[in-house]
Amino acid sequence: MDSKHIEALLEKYWNCETSLEEEQQLREYYRGEVPESMKEVAQVFQYFDSQQKQQVNSVDFDATVKKKIKQQQPDAKVVRLFQNYGRIAAGLLVVVAATYFVRQEVRKAYPPEIADTYSDPKLALEETKKALMMISKGFSKAQKEAGKIKVFNEAEVKIQGKTPDESEANDTKI
Amino acid sequence: MNLEAFENRVLPTKNKLFRFAFRLLGSSEEAKDVVQEVLIKVWNGREQMAEVQNMEAWCMRITKNLSLDRLRSRQRRATDPIEEGMQIRNETLTPHERTESHENMQRINEMIASLPEKQRQVIHLRDIEGYSYNEICEILELDMNQVKVNLFRARNTVREKFIKINAYGL
Repeated sequence: MDSKHIEALLEKYWNCETSLEEEQQLREYYRGEVPESMKEVAQVFQYFDSQQKQQVNSVDFDATVKKKIKQQQPDAKVVRLFQNYGRIAAGLLVVVAATYFVRQEVRKAYPPEIADTYSDPKLALEETKKALMMISKGFSKAQKEAGKIKVFNEAEVKIQGKTPDESEANDTKI
Repeated sequence: MNLEAFENRVLPTKNKLFRFAFRLLGSSEEAKDVVQEVLIKVWNGREQMAEVQNMEAWCMRITKNLSLDRLRSRQRRATDPIEEGMQIRNETLTPHERTESHENMQRINEMIASLPEKQRQVIHLRDIEGYSYNEICEILELDMNQVKVNLFRARNTVREKFIKINAYGL
C-alpha cells in the first residue's frame, strides 16, 4: 500500500469520514513496519488492537454464569405461576362482585312482594286476613290512645274559657 | 430461548461486554460482576428477546446502563470526589503491555481514560470494537450527530495530545 493512500485515509480517519473497512485497512497497515514519521500514529492503532484482545480474566466465568442461571430458573417460574393465579383470582373476584351488585340492583327494581309466596290460594287468603287483622288491631289500639288527646283538648278549652262551639270547631280542625 | 441458544449466541459476547464495562468502570472485578449481571438479566428477560434484532447491541446497552448505575452509586458512596477515570489508568493494560513497559501505550490509555464519558464510550465502541455508527447509536441511545461529534472530539484529543506533541518532540 502506498503511503499517499494511507495518508489520505488517515486524514479521513481524523475527520471521522472513514468507513469500517477503511479503518480496518489502517489498522492492518500500522501493524507492520512503518516509517519513523508515522510511529506515533502506529502506536495509537496498536493500542486499539491490543485492547481488543482483552478477555474476561476468569477461567470459571462461564460455569459461574450457568450455575447462577440454573439457580434463577425455578424461582422465576414460581413467581410467574403465582402471578398468573393472582390474575385469575382477581378476574374471578371482579365477576363475583359484579354479579352481586347487579343482583342487588335487580332486587331493588323488582321488590320480592310481587312474587308469589304461597302456592295455595286459601292459605294465602288466611295469611292475608291475619295480617290485615293485625293492622286493624293496631289501628283500634292507636285510636284508643288518640282519644286521650281529646281530654287534653277539652281541658285546654276549659282553661282558656272558650265556648264549646269554638272548641268543637277546634276539634274538627285537629 | 433455551440454554443452548444462550450459550451460542449470548455467552460469546462476554469479552466485548467485559471490555466495555472495564472501560467505563476501570476495575476488572467490577466489570466482571457487571457482565455476570448483564448475562443473568438477558437470561431472565429471554421471553422479550424474540423482538430484539441485534442481540449484541442490546447486551452492550444493558452493560452500559448497569456500569453507569455502578459509577453513580460509587460516586455517592465516595466521601471525596475521585478524579474521573483515575482508576482506569494502570489497570486497563494487559500484563504483557506492563512488562514490556510501553510507556506510550500507557499514555494513550491515560488519555482515553481522561476523556469525557460519552467520548470515551464512542471511541471505545468504534476504534476498539469496530461497531458501525448505527450500532453505536443503538447501544448508547444517542442520535447519529451526537455519536459523530463525540467521536470527532475524542479522536482529535488523541491526535492533538499524543501525536502532535510526540511528533514535534515537545
